[in-house]
Amino acid sequence: MLWVLFKESLLFAWQSLVSNKLRSFLSLLGITIGIFAIILVFTIVDGLESNIRGSIQSLGNNVVYIQKWPWDFGPDYPWWKYINRPVPQYYELDELQKRCKSTEALAYRMGRRRTIKYRSNSIQNAVVAGISHDFYKIKNFDLTAGRYFTQNETDAGYHLALIGASIAEGLFPNEDPIGKEIKIAGNKAVIIGVIKKEGESLLGVSFDYQVITPFNFARYFLDVRSENADPMIYAKAKPNVSNAEMISELTGIMRGIRKLKPMGEPNFALNETSLISKGFDGLFDIIGTAGWIIGGFSILVGGFGIANIMFVSVKERTNLIGIQKSLGAKNFFILVQFLGESVMLSTIGGFFGLLVTYIITLLGKDAIDMDISLTSTNIILGFTISILIGIISGFIPAYSASQLDPVEAIRSN
Amino acid sequence: MIRPKIISFICIIGYLSVVFTFPQVFSPQIKKLGVLMPAIYGILVAANFIACVGLWYFKQWGVQLYIISVFAKTLFYILANQLGFGFYFNCSVSFIFIIILLRFYPKMNPNL
Repeated sequence: MLWVLFKESLLFAWQSLVSNKLRSFLSLLGITIGIFAIILVFTIVDGLESNIRGSIQSLGNNVVYIQKWPWDFGPDYPWWKYINRPVPQYYELDELQKRCKSTEALAYRMGRRRTIKYRSNSIQNAVVAGISHDFYKIKNFDLTAGRYFTQNETDAGYHLALIGASIAEGLFPNEDPIGKEIKIAGNKAVIIGVIKKEGESLLGVSFDYQVITPFNFARYFLDVRSENADPMIYAKAKPNVSNAEMISELTGIMRGIRKLKPMGEPNFALNETSLISKGFDGLFDIIGTAGWIIGGFSILVGGFGIANIMFVSVKERTNLIGIQKSLGAKNFFILVQFLGESVMLSTIGGFFGLLVTYIITLLGKDAIDMDISLTSTNIILGFTISILIGIISGFIPAYSASQLDPVEAIRSN
Repeated sequence: MIRPKIISFICIIGYLSVVFTFPQVFSPQIKKLGVLMPAIYGILVAANFIACVGLWYFKQWGVQLYIISVFAKTLFYILANQLGFGFYFNCSVSFIFIIILLRFYPKMNPNL
């Protein structure tokens, strides 16, 4: 019985919406814009967050970076304390490899932007990195073609290179790059492998625009003592060793290598990826809150629009309500009829808002080459907000309609 | 019977609290608690609002729904471990309001 009553009320509500198409369209537009605004912001924030978290993950949770500058995102960064520090040197890697017991792998890397040429094709500002052999044990990357360097090739500094997918597409649009000779800042190098495409990374850690060469070859075109090449030593902990244990050992060894006094300030930084995560947590909270405030106000405005239109609708149909009540319609029937109308309006508005967001994410995905997609969480959230705003904004008009006296209602114009 | 001023005051506070708590439904803090948490919290906010409408019309079901929504909201905050100053303040105020509402309960309209 209750279900029949409910179904019939919704049918009435639907007929009312269809008979006032323009008015229904205008009132659901407010909700559409509100849902679009809030869900789009959440979708973009989720996309950015997953991209950055993915990039941080790719840096490795159990990897420590030995560098000149510490990673710190605070406003009071004491740069003057670090500016005179020496950069990590290649010989320090050798010493660490000899003495360190807690690491599974240690690798050296430095890189700068250089022009890469192949016949008449060239790519400017590609990142050219010089690495030590164990680099592959620390950084996760797959090759779509070719192979990695052998120990002998890296040690002897063979003129070889691995190239990123975007470099391969740019230099060799219709050719297989393996075995071809490219020029890196005027130095010839043979390509022995192509790294699998990774897509855009907000942290700039994607291999797509990188050329990787053995460190002893990179010495020809990179200044090994220059800070501009951002030299660093990667240390990856053994499976059962914590980062704290490894950092403790690395600190002792580095102090020994650099002959620092026991109580002296260290002149190197041991950076962990967790520091980046912490730095971004605050940023995401700010963006999320900003989106929440902007979207919240849009939704409120949309809700007021629906409430207004529902009051108009009740006023217009007062006679009809009187007739329905005099023919035996219960208060509940009238309540559900108007409440159903407002929930229907806001849900349809929410659906269109989600649809527009979905289309924008599809267009955005192609434009910025980043994985931004409408998640099921945000779809549920969008519909939840729509239904709630429908209930909240439609309840007072619906309830006041249900409380009308049938005689008074029939008499009204 | 005419609605007493104290009930009108409770209703206005209730409406205002809905205006301020509704945006919390899609706040990052609630979203972090779980996929269905915004929906559950939203239902509680809507129930609170409907209860205030019931109180405005001086109906008994308004008091019943108000008590249910207050307890459900308290339970939600406890389960979500959101026990700050706001939680204790809300609990105290709601408790006082419930006592006032129960005093007027017998005089209220029992119909829908």
